[in-house]
Amino acid sequence: MNFKKTATAAALGLFLFYAVLILSLLTFFEGKGFWEVLRAPDTLFSIRLSLLAATLAMLLAVAIGLPAAYALSRASFPGKKLVDTFLELPMIMSPIALGAALLIFFNTPFGAIIQEKGILFVFEFPGIVLAQFATIAGLATRLMKTALDEISPRYEAVARSLGSSAWGAFWKITFPLAFRGLISAMILCWAKAVGEFGATVTLAGTMAFKTETMPIAIFMALASADIRKTIILILILAGIGLTALYAVRFAAKTPQIL
Amino acid sequence: MIEIRRLNLTLGSFRIENLDLILQEGVFNVLLGPTGSGKTLILESIIGLRSFQSGKILIGGKEIQNLSPERRGISYVPQDLALFPHLTVRENILYGLRAQKKSFGVNENHLDRLIDVLKIKHLLDRYSPGLSGGEKQRVALGRALAPSPRLLLLDEPLAALDPALKGEIQQLLISLHDSLKFTALHVTHDLEEAYLLGDRITVLIEGRTEQSGKRQDVFLRPQTVKVAQFLGLRNLFPERVLQVEEGGKSITVSFWGREITLPSDHAAGRLSPGEDVVLYLRPEEGMILREGKPIKESLRQNIFAGEVSRILDRGTHRWVSFQPRGLDVLLEINLPNYVFRNLAIQEGKEIRVAMRRESFWVIPV
Repeated sequence: MNFKKTATAAALGLFLFYAVLILSLLTFFEGKGFWEVLRAPDTLFSIRLSLLAATLAMLLAVAIGLPAAYALSRASFPGKKLVDTFLELPMIMSPIALGAALLIFFNTPFGAIIQEKGILFVFEFPGIVLAQFATIAGLATRLMKTALDEISPRYEAVARSLGSSAWGAFWKITFPLAFRGLISAMILCWAKAVGEFGATVTLAGTMAFKTETMPIAIFMALASADIRKTIILILILAGIGLTALYAVRFAAKTPQIL
Repeated sequence: MIEIRRLNLTLGSFRIENLDLILQEGVFNVLLGPTGSGKTLILESIIGLRSFQSGKILIGGKEIQNLSPERRGISYVPQDLALFPHLTVRENILYGLRAQKKSFGVNENHLDRLIDVLKIKHLLDRYSPGLSGGEKQRVALGRALAPSPRLLLLDEPLAALDPALKGEIQQLLISLHDSLKFTALHVTHDLEEAYLLGDRITVLIEGRTEQSGKRQDVFLRPQTVKVAQFLGLRNLFPERVLQVEEGGKSITVSFWGREITLPSDHAAGRLSPGEDVVLYLRPEEGMILREGKPIKESLRQNIFAGEVSRILDRGTHRWVSFQPRGLDVLLEINLPNYVFRNLAIQEGKEIRVAMRRESFWVIPV
């Protein structure tokens, strides 16, 4: 077997591995119960909660991550390499550890003040958003930095020489040129936030109709041996995730110019 | 007038120290230097994209070094042109006017003239990724000149072009400048390009201005040995000043074991007896004498006998290497093909070469 065929076989093998995992769910799948579980108030709540929290977490990650990505891509500042390294922390750190760190932080005097005089995070909706944000912010910054790195800084230099302010040059030139990459980063991070479990369960708990996101609902259904509900929730979550991932590829392929 | 005064800039181990540069308004200025001489750093400092330790940049007597790039009125064309690919040619051209909130009505005639000279009217609704190399160059020039900048900076925009296209764009730059009389600073390491385009040329080597002046002065009368070497000049002979006439009208310099007296305006600066110098003779000024032909009196003192050591065919002309008898030096002589054919010389042939006093140039070491 030649090199290309071997590589292709590896790719197909990986596809089959995940496909078999999904298909195995269908062994216990009962079609008539699908709509019943889907329409159940707790399922709809989980879906709504997951989508809302993930969207807010993603918007927050972009709001902070985009300027951070710009700085890492374009500027030189002391400690840049350290900041860059820390962005990868959520990728190598277990989500449960991240959630535990957040939980411990809110038990410090400073964290307690935030809880008392600001926003309640522990076992509350903002806690879900914060846990998801903590998981995806580094990834969002890294992906957006990659998107910005692909755009030559000379475009901005020329735009500025022609009379645009730094902001103007970014919004009129760099942002539209990096738009596809930025959108891909947003979708990917949103999908990751939707599927986030470890940090969320640690910081926000598993309270039905309060902090029960879809991954937590799956965990709860499995813990109570409700296989039918578990499978249906997994399929819904996989459906949302795969749609988002397909959208990333669609965004990457859509011609930006002409 | 645009002035850069005592610019000091350090980047890693590279330093630009006390650089002075004066750009005449309405003139096509060229900053010429080898790769790594600091040309682009200077350009970025002028635009405002790079901060420098000290120095002043003045346009019309006003200091602009503390202004942000968008407030300097300096347009920039980088080597890769950086045309905005998501905008049409029209939007690219109008970008500066819109950003500077300049009225199109006031600038309509200027824009029409620009578009006309650049021959880009038929491209206005197209996007830059679909344009040819030459069309992109035209659009980049149009975009930079549309807001009528006080200074146009060109950072080696022709460096990556093939010879035919490079020639076309060089001609375009000349006619564009003749037509619009803008002030330009064109950065290049290409000697031919610098000579063709530059009304005034500044030679930058290792972060220092080595020479600045009219193109003929720089190419025919290099002020330093570094400039002469960078220009690739042949026939640079290490010699010594023997005598300086009282009143300083002429100097006597050693040359191949003899003496040669030259008018003092054939030397770069004031020289003193005993000073080491480099004597430069332009390759087209060496005269191969035909046997039997009468020789002018003025040439009789500087005739050397020797042999042709090598002949190189350079297409339109020949490089003849002449080795004077008893000396370990070579004189390169540049002969047009028709002269070479008439002389009927070949390698190893004994010849005599004469040199006029006026053809020498003395450079202090």
